[in-house]
Amino acid sequence: MQTKKEFRFFTIFQYEQEQEYLRRRHQQGWKFVKVTGIGIYHFERCVPEDVVYQLDYNKDAAENREEYLTMFADCGWEYLQMYAGYTYFRKPASQMEGEEGIFSDGASHLAMMERVLRGRMLPMLVLFSACLLPQFIINLSNGRYVVASFLGGILLLYVFVFTGCGIYYLKLKQKYLP
Amino acid sequence: MDAHTRKVYVPMTETGFYILFCLRQPNHGYGIVQTVERLTGGEIRLAPGTMYGSLSKMEKDGLIRFVREEEKRKIYEITELGTEVLQLELKRIRRLYESIREEL
Repeated sequence: MQTKKEFRFFTIFQYEQEQEYLRRRHQQGWKFVKVTGIGIYHFERCVPEDVVYQLDYNKDAAENREEYLTMFADCGWEYLQMYAGYTYFRKPASQMEGEEGIFSDGASHLAMMERVLRGRMLPMLVLFSACLLPQFIINLSNGRYVVASFLGGILLLYVFVFTGCGIYYLKLKQKYLP
Repeated sequence: MDAHTRKVYVPMTETGFYILFCLRQPNHGYGIVQTVERLTGGEIRLAPGTMYGSLSKMEKDGLIRFVREEEKRKIYEITELGTEVLQLELKRIRRLYESIREEL
Protein backbone atom coordinates (compact mmCIF):
# COMPACT_ATOMS: atom_id res chain seq x y z
CA MET A 1 0.00 0.00 0.00
CA GLN A 2 1.43 3.34 -1.08
CA THR A 3 1.42 5.89 1.71
CA LYS A 4 2.59 9.45 2.29
CA LYS A 5 2.92 11.98 5.07
CA GLU A 6 2.37 15.72 4.89
CA PHE A 7 2.98 18.45 7.40
CA ARG A 8 0.23 21.03 7.73
CA PHE A 9 -0.40 23.54 10.47
CA PHE A 10 -3.91 24.74 11.20
CA THR A 11 -4.65 27.14 14.05
CA ILE A 12 -7.52 26.30 16.41
CA PHE A 13 -10.16 28.02 14.34
CA GLN A 14 -9.04 26.71 10.96
CA TYR A 15 -10.90 23.43 11.16
CA GLU A 16 -12.90 24.39 8.08
CA GLN A 17 -9.70 24.71 6.08
CA GLU A 18 -8.54 21.41 7.54
CA GLN A 19 -11.79 19.72 6.46
CA GLU A 20 -11.39 21.10 2.96
CA TYR A 21 -7.78 19.95 2.82
CA LEU A 22 -8.70 16.35 3.73
CA ARG A 23 -11.58 16.34 1.24
CA ARG A 24 -9.29 17.61 -1.55
CA ARG A 25 -6.70 14.91 -0.82
CA HIS A 26 -9.38 12.22 -0.98
CA GLN A 27 -10.58 13.60 -4.32
CA GLN A 28 -6.97 13.29 -5.50
CA GLY A 29 -6.83 9.64 -4.40
CA TRP A 30 -5.22 10.08 -1.00
CA LYS A 31 -7.32 8.74 1.82
CA PHE A 32 -6.74 10.21 5.29
CA VAL A 33 -5.47 7.65 7.82
CA LYS A 34 -4.56 9.69 10.89
CA VAL A 35 -2.93 12.84 12.16
CA THR A 36 -0.06 12.67 14.65
CA GLY A 37 2.38 14.98 16.40
CA ILE A 38 1.93 18.68 15.73
CA GLY A 39 0.31 18.21 12.34
CA ILE A 40 1.68 15.23 10.44
CA TYR A 41 -1.10 13.96 8.18
CA HIS A 42 -0.87 10.32 7.09
CA PHE A 43 -2.52 9.23 3.84
CA GLU A 44 -2.81 6.06 1.80
CA ARG A 45 -3.52 5.59 -1.90
CA CYS A 46 -7.18 5.03 -2.81
CA VAL A 47 -9.63 5.42 -5.66
CA PRO A 48 -10.38 9.17 -5.97
CA GLU A 49 -13.75 9.93 -4.41
CA ASP A 50 -15.65 12.93 -3.10
CA VAL A 51 -15.76 12.38 0.64
CA VAL A 52 -16.80 15.05 3.13
CA TYR A 53 -14.63 15.39 6.24
CA GLN A 54 -15.93 16.99 9.43
CA LEU A 55 -14.42 17.91 12.80
CA ASP A 56 -16.34 18.17 16.04
CA TYR A 57 -15.03 19.62 19.29
CA ASN A 58 -16.84 18.12 22.26
CA LYS A 59 -15.19 17.22 25.57
CA ASP A 60 -18.40 15.73 26.89
CA ALA A 61 -18.30 13.29 24.00
CA ALA A 62 -15.04 11.79 25.21
CA GLU A 63 -16.85 10.68 28.38
CA ASN A 64 -19.85 9.24 26.56
CA ARG A 65 -17.77 8.00 23.68
CA GLU A 66 -19.76 4.91 22.68
CA GLU A 67 -23.10 6.66 22.68
CA TYR A 68 -21.64 9.67 20.87
CA LEU A 69 -20.01 7.59 18.12
CA THR A 70 -23.12 5.42 17.73
CA MET A 71 -25.20 8.49 16.93
CA PHE A 72 -22.75 9.58 14.23
CA ALA A 73 -22.53 6.04 12.84
CA ASP A 74 -26.35 5.85 12.69
CA CYS A 75 -26.30 8.99 10.55
CA GLY A 76 -23.68 7.49 8.23
CA TRP A 77 -20.55 9.22 9.57
CA GLU A 78 -17.43 7.07 9.85
CA TYR A 79 -15.37 7.78 12.96
CA LEU A 80 -11.66 8.29 12.28
CA GLN A 81 -9.90 9.51 15.40
CA MET A 82 -9.80 11.89 18.32
CA TYR A 83 -6.94 14.37 18.23
CA ALA A 84 -6.31 17.43 20.41
CA GLY A 85 -9.94 17.58 21.54
CA TYR A 86 -11.28 17.25 18.00
CA THR A 87 -13.11 14.21 16.65
CA TYR A 88 -12.67 13.42 12.95
CA PHE A 89 -15.49 12.01 10.81
CA ARG A 90 -16.08 11.38 7.11
CA LYS A 91 -18.99 10.48 4.85
CA PRO A 92 -19.00 9.94 1.07
CA ALA A 93 -20.88 12.66 -0.81
CA SER A 94 -22.61 9.91 -2.81
CA GLN A 95 -24.50 8.88 0.35
CA MET A 96 -25.82 12.40 0.90
CA GLU A 97 -28.79 14.26 -0.42
CA GLY A 98 -27.30 17.66 -1.14
CA GLU A 99 -24.52 19.13 0.95
CA GLU A 100 -24.47 17.64 4.41
CA GLY A 101 -22.41 18.29 7.53
CA ILE A 102 -22.42 17.21 11.15
CA PHE A 103 -24.27 20.43 12.05
CA SER A 104 -27.64 21.18 10.54
CA ASP A 105 -28.21 24.63 12.03
CA GLY A 106 -26.22 27.75 12.78
CA ALA A 107 -26.88 27.72 16.51
CA SER A 108 -25.23 24.33 17.01
CA HIS A 109 -22.29 25.29 14.80
CA LEU A 110 -21.80 28.40 16.90
CA ALA A 111 -22.10 26.32 20.08
CA MET A 112 -19.18 24.20 18.87
CA MET A 113 -17.13 27.35 18.26
CA GLU A 114 -17.84 28.44 21.81
CA ARG A 115 -16.65 25.05 23.10
CA VAL A 116 -13.44 25.57 21.14
CA LEU A 117 -13.10 29.05 22.64
CA ARG A 118 -13.54 27.77 26.18
CA GLY A 119 -11.43 24.67 25.71
CA ARG A 120 -8.52 26.07 23.72
CA MET A 121 -8.50 29.87 23.81
CA LEU A 122 -9.07 30.31 27.53
CA PRO A 123 -5.99 28.28 28.60
CA MET A 124 -3.94 30.24 26.07
CA LEU A 125 -5.26 33.51 27.41
CA VAL A 126 -4.41 32.49 30.99
CA LEU A 127 -0.88 31.53 29.94
CA PHE A 128 -0.60 34.81 28.09
CA SER A 129 -1.64 37.08 30.93
CA ALA A 130 -0.21 35.09 33.85
CA CYS A 131 3.19 34.11 32.44
CA LEU A 132 4.30 35.66 29.20
CA LEU A 133 3.22 39.24 29.74
CA PRO A 134 4.76 39.71 33.25
CA GLN A 135 7.96 37.96 32.13
CA PHE A 136 8.22 40.26 29.14
CA ILE A 137 7.82 43.37 31.31
CA ILE A 138 10.32 42.14 33.94
CA ASN A 139 12.96 41.31 31.34
CA LEU A 140 12.44 44.56 29.49
CA SER A 141 12.75 46.74 32.59
CA ASN A 142 15.89 44.85 33.67
CA GLY A 143 17.54 45.50 30.35
CA ARG A 144 17.64 41.87 29.23
CA TYR A 145 16.78 42.76 25.67
CA VAL A 146 17.53 39.44 23.98
CA VAL A 147 15.12 37.55 26.24
CA ALA A 148 12.65 40.42 26.09
CA SER A 149 12.60 40.52 22.30
CA PHE A 150 12.18 36.73 22.17
CA LEU A 151 9.21 36.96 24.54
CA GLY A 152 7.96 39.97 22.63
CA GLY A 153 7.95 37.89 19.46
CA ILE A 154 5.84 35.19 21.09
CA LEU A 155 3.49 37.84 22.48
CA LEU A 156 3.02 39.32 19.02
CA LEU A 157 2.23 35.88 17.65
CA TYR A 158 -0.33 35.42 20.40
CA VAL A 159 -1.98 38.76 19.71
CA PHE A 160 -2.08 37.84 16.03
CA VAL A 161 -3.80 34.50 16.73
CA PHE A 162 -6.25 36.03 19.24
CA THR A 163 -7.27 38.76 16.83
CA GLY A 164 -7.69 36.26 14.00
CA CYS A 165 -9.85 34.00 16.17
CA GLY A 166 -11.91 36.93 17.43
CA ILE A 167 -12.65 38.17 13.91
CA TYR A 168 -13.54 34.68 12.71
CA TYR A 169 -15.89 34.12 15.64
CA LEU A 170 -17.70 37.41 15.05
CA LYS A 171 -18.02 36.63 11.34
CA LEU A 172 -19.59 33.26 12.10
CA LYS A 173 -21.88 34.82 14.65
CA GLN A 174 -23.11 37.25 12.02
CA LYS A 175 -23.56 34.45 9.54
CA TYR A 176 -25.50 32.19 11.88
CA LEU A 177 -27.46 34.62 14.04
CA PRO A 178 -28.82 37.21 11.64
CA MET B 1 -39.63 28.47 34.75
CA ASP B 2 -36.51 30.50 35.56
CA ALA B 3 -34.96 33.38 33.65
CA HIS B 4 -32.28 31.20 32.06
CA THR B 5 -34.79 28.78 30.55
CA ARG B 6 -36.90 31.65 29.28
CA LYS B 7 -33.91 33.41 27.75
CA VAL B 8 -32.50 30.33 26.01
CA TYR B 9 -35.65 28.49 24.96
CA VAL B 10 -38.37 31.09 24.38
CA PRO B 11 -38.49 31.39 21.42
CA MET B 12 -36.53 28.30 20.49
CA THR B 13 -34.74 27.01 17.41
CA GLU B 14 -36.51 24.74 14.96
CA THR B 15 -34.16 21.94 16.02
CA GLY B 16 -35.02 22.43 19.69
CA PHE B 17 -38.72 22.53 18.93
CA TYR B 18 -38.72 19.27 16.97
CA ILE B 19 -36.64 17.50 19.62
CA LEU B 20 -39.03 18.48 22.40
CA PHE B 21 -42.04 17.67 20.24
CA CYS B 22 -40.69 14.18 19.45
CA LEU B 23 -39.75 13.44 23.05
CA ARG B 24 -43.37 13.42 24.19
CA GLN B 25 -42.66 9.76 23.45
CA PRO B 26 -39.40 8.27 24.78
CA ASN B 27 -36.88 8.08 21.94
CA HIS B 28 -33.16 8.22 21.17
CA GLY B 29 -31.30 10.76 19.06
CA TYR B 30 -31.31 8.87 15.79
CA GLY B 31 -34.98 7.98 16.33
CA ILE B 32 -35.72 11.70 16.53
CA VAL B 33 -33.73 12.34 13.33
CA GLN B 34 -35.87 9.75 11.52
CA THR B 35 -39.16 11.02 12.97
CA VAL B 36 -38.38 14.63 12.00
CA GLU B 37 -37.41 13.56 8.50
CA ARG B 38 -40.74 11.78 8.13
CA LEU B 39 -42.75 14.64 9.69
CA THR B 40 -41.25 17.22 7.34
CA GLY B 41 -41.24 15.05 4.23
CA GLY B 42 -37.45 14.99 4.12
CA GLU B 43 -37.25 18.77 4.38
CA ILE B 44 -35.38 18.77 7.70
CA ARG B 45 -32.54 16.32 8.26
CA LEU B 46 -31.02 16.90 11.69
CA ALA B 47 -27.28 16.24 11.78
CA PRO B 48 -25.63 14.19 14.56
CA GLY B 49 -23.43 17.01 15.92
CA THR B 50 -26.48 19.22 16.26
CA MET B 51 -28.54 16.41 17.79
CA TYR B 52 -25.87 15.35 20.30
CA GLY B 53 -25.18 18.93 21.41
CA SER B 54 -28.88 19.78 21.75
CA LEU B 55 -29.73 16.65 23.73
CA SER B 56 -26.90 17.15 26.25
CA LYS B 57 -27.79 20.82 26.65
CA MET B 58 -31.49 20.16 27.09
CA GLU B 59 -30.79 17.40 29.61
CA LYS B 60 -28.52 19.73 31.57
CA ASP B 61 -31.20 22.43 31.52
CA GLY B 62 -33.85 19.96 32.74
CA LEU B 63 -36.12 20.04 29.67
CA ILE B 64 -35.64 16.35 28.99
CA ARG B 65 -34.48 13.43 31.11
CA PHE B 66 -32.48 10.29 30.46
CA VAL B 67 -34.67 7.18 30.74
CA ARG B 68 -32.50 4.18 29.87
CA GLU B 69 -29.88 2.94 27.46
CA GLU B 70 -30.55 0.53 24.60
CA GLU B 71 -27.69 -0.77 22.45
CA LYS B 72 -25.44 2.21 23.18
CA ARG B 73 -28.26 4.64 22.46
CA LYS B 74 -29.53 6.90 25.23
CA ILE B 75 -33.28 7.16 25.41
CA TYR B 76 -34.77 10.45 26.62
CA GLU B 77 -38.21 11.82 27.37
CA ILE B 78 -39.64 15.28 27.98
CA THR B 79 -39.92 16.61 31.56
CA GLU B 80 -42.63 18.85 33.06
CA LEU B 81 -40.44 21.90 32.47
CA GLY B 82 -39.92 20.75 28.87
CA THR B 83 -43.68 20.38 28.38
CA GLU B 84 -44.19 23.88 29.76
CA VAL B 85 -41.64 25.30 27.29
CA LEU B 86 -43.16 23.33 24.41
CA GLN B 87 -46.66 24.68 25.23
CA LEU B 88 -45.33 28.25 25.28
CA GLU B 89 -43.66 27.71 21.93
CA LEU B 90 -46.79 26.13 20.42
CA LYS B 91 -48.79 29.12 21.60
CA ARG B 92 -46.28 31.49 20.02
CA ILE B 93 -46.30 29.67 16.69
CA ARG B 94 -50.10 29.52 16.68
CA ARG B 95 -50.32 33.25 17.38
CA LEU B 96 -47.80 33.94 14.62
CA TYR B 97 -49.82 31.93 12.15
CA GLU B 98 -53.25 33.26 13.25
CA SER B 99 -52.10 36.86 13.03
CA ILE B 100 -51.07 36.66 9.40
CA ARG B 101 -53.59 34.12 8.11
CA GLU B 102 -56.13 36.77 7.07
CA GLU B 103 -53.51 38.45 4.92
CA LEU B 104 -52.57 35.33 2.98
